[in-house]
Amino acid sequence: MGGKPFGRALGAPSGRGGSGGSAGASGGYGAGGPERARRRGQGELEAQVLTALHHAPEPVSAAWVQERLGGDLAYTTVMTILSRLHAKKAVTRERSGRAYLWTPAADEAGLAALRMRRVLDGEPDRDAVLTSFVSALSAHDEQVLRALLDGADPGGPAPGRD
Amino acid sequence: MGFFVFLPLVLPLTALPIAKLAGQHLHPRASTRLLTLLSAVLAVCSTLCLGLLMVVGTAQLPGNPLPDGWSDPEVRAAVPGAEIAGIAAIAALAAAAVAGAGTLRRHRRIRARAHDALAALPPGHDPAVLPDATPYAYAVPGTPGRPGRAARPGRVVVSRGMLDSLDGAERRALFAHERAHLDCHHHRYLLAVRLAGCLNPLLLPLRPALAYATERWADEEAARAVGDRRVTAHAVGKAALVGRAGAPHPEMAHFAAAETGPVPRRVAALLAPVPPARGWPHALTPTGLAALVAAAGTATSALASLNSTIALFLILKAATPL
Repeated sequence: MGGKPFGRALGAPSGRGGSGGSAGASGGYGAGGPERARRRGQGELEAQVLTALHHAPEPVSAAWVQERLGGDLAYTTVMTILSRLHAKKAVTRERSGRAYLWTPAADEAGLAALRMRRVLDGEPDRDAVLTSFVSALSAHDEQVLRALLDGADPGGPAPGRD
Repeated sequence: MGFFVFLPLVLPLTALPIAKLAGQHLHPRASTRLLTLLSAVLAVCSTLCLGLLMVVGTAQLPGNPLPDGWSDPEVRAAVPGAEIAGIAAIAALAAAAVAGAGTLRRHRRIRARAHDALAALPPGHDPAVLPDATPYAYAVPGTPGRPGRAARPGRVVVSRGMLDSLDGAERRALFAHERAHLDCHHHRYLLAVRLAGCLNPLLLPLRPALAYATERWADEEAARAVGDRRVTAHAVGKAALVGRAGAPHPEMAHFAAAETGPVPRRVAALLAPVPPARGWPHALTPTGLAALVAAAGTATSALASLNSTIALFLILKAATPL
């Protein structure tokens, strides 16, 4: 896809500070530069589209979604987001004539889970930034750990812990 | 004058034994702060020293913009092998700058990607529970606000798979642990020590030591919040074993077998009594002695580092006609 998916907010030249700024603010991304606005807006827009689909009574077209979102987004933008959601298996689609009808497959939490998994799988060095609850165990660690937990637990696997 | 000007570059070697002592004998909070301070001081000293070496070593090269006084024979006599050291220092500084910038960039990118991923869930969802069978739990550090962008508060992310493997009290321990990471700003300590490792690779061994100290700190906070050390120990142990069940390969089991990893040590520490939270242990106990030795070692290496950095600085200052 091109570099200008959200034409209105991005297209406003800096000279027209007033109107351009307000358009950007209403879209949820301010004066952070086009690249940043695109990247930051992406997660929120996907969530908005998914929410709209959840409120649909039946499988709906992209135009319905666009209208539901208040007409703020270009039709092609909505199509792009829907295709992206489809690639993530967060929505399903069926052909109806010349267009597609869309149905949500995941809710917002499901979408967040899909996106989070991509971060976790794609960033091998993530533990330096995202502090994990536990780190990986070696086989030796596992033995030691089981012995420790058994020793701490003379009455069985789960003694009166309430 | 002599080789002591290179001291700040190698003194970080003393950091590892100090880290081991601190990890064994200090409260994890004190340990975290000590290790961070130590690595920051040593990294700054060694970088300053590199910078001064670069100046001395290259001051006599034709066409350099430095004061003429800096290429006096006296100045060069203070640094053995000044030219080689100077050229090497340029390379070392460039490598440190590249590594440091890369670390910062990666830190920001991972943080931003994690926040983007969670953008679908409103900030009210805390902790954010994600429908994913893979067990994981992370603390995503907040991002400060900038012009044109609102600040994003830190968030706790837990997968359904992780929650399902814990009971109610253990879940509370898990949440308290991750909350403690965010509330105590552990990511700042971790980033500081990572950057220190970029500046001087001899500080790299402090990274796992500090990671362990912050995990222990969060464990202690969680145990305090839940009011039960055993429940917290079980939460940590179960979570690790659940994650283990999903692991495809018993990776590196033969190489790792000699030393016990961080998770069993954390569980063992939680099953032991509360570590003394305030101040130093009594000086006449073995623990107290070890802590004193660690403190003295830290102070010595930091001071020696500072000393030779300042000495080098003074030599240059004396040679500068002002």
